[in-house]
Amino acid sequence: MRVSELVKKTGLKTFNEGVDKEITGVYISDMVSDIIGIKEGHLLITLQTHKNLIAAANLVDVAAVVFSRNRIPADDVVALANRAGIKLLGYDGDTWSLAKKLCELKIG
Amino acid sequence: MSKAACRHQWTMTNVRPGYLVIEGCFHCRNRISFFSQESVAPIDDYHEGEHFWSHLAHYQASQFDLKCEKCSAEVPLKEVMALMLCMKCNPSCGVYAAGTQKPGQKTWVYAALCANTSHSPKKCISPKSLSALNEYFNQGIKDPAKKIVVVPCRLRKSVDTCQGIVLADFGLTDLY
Repeated sequence: MRVSELVKKTGLKTFNEGVDKEITGVYISDMVSDIIGIKEGHLLITLQTHKNLIAAANLVDVAAVVFSRNRIPADDVVALANRAGIKLLGYDGDTWSLAKKLCELKIG
Repeated sequence: MSKAACRHQWTMTNVRPGYLVIEGCFHCRNRISFFSQESVAPIDDYHEGEHFWSHLAHYQASQFDLKCEKCSAEVPLKEVMALMLCMKCNPSCGVYAAGTQKPGQKTWVYAALCANTSHSPKKCISPKSLSALNEYFNQGIKDPAKKIVVVPCRLRKSVDTCQGIVLADFGLTDLY
């Protein structure tokens, strides 16, 4: 499934344009030091809105980043994601409820 | 398959969670860093030869090695303290220059940080480690225009003015 299709099906908020990539899996983590080990094409769900996270997400070529619990990234974070072509999404609920939704959609 | 002829398919192995600890000597003003796997990051000051090392900061981080899934070759990366994304703050910096790209290319430069930012022992990250890191971080990229370039931190012009983003977890252990 592509990121644009996921947004349509789940109503996730979008913070930028980004590149509409294919999602090959899902990874949930709030630690930059953990994220650098994930596979390319994963959807990254996190609470972290720090710029470090984008630097790590770019290195491992994620499909998109979803900030759960209504976290909003700062302008400089969005700007760096734009440069990297990383789509930033937002979800009002908690990470667990989003994970359940993704399982129902057979993503991951 | 012989290890020399193998087109490696790298995977992360021996992932080690811990702390990136940074210390400074007020005498010579050098900075060093090391990776600690202790449950709480060491913060004690100590005297070593002419140096008086004081704790400056520590961040949660992880170290890893790379292993080839095809030929089982392993590259230990103990010498890599962290990776840092170049933010292109200084055109005269060697790390910035490593990202000079052709039109249509999207090159991202990451500096692999070694333990001694002064590089006074004339050592930095080895070519073998850099080669494996470059292969690992580029092997899965789908966009043909995107390229990750990992360079040694000795190319960095100034540790004091560098605006690069270090891939470590800032602030998570402040309660300690």
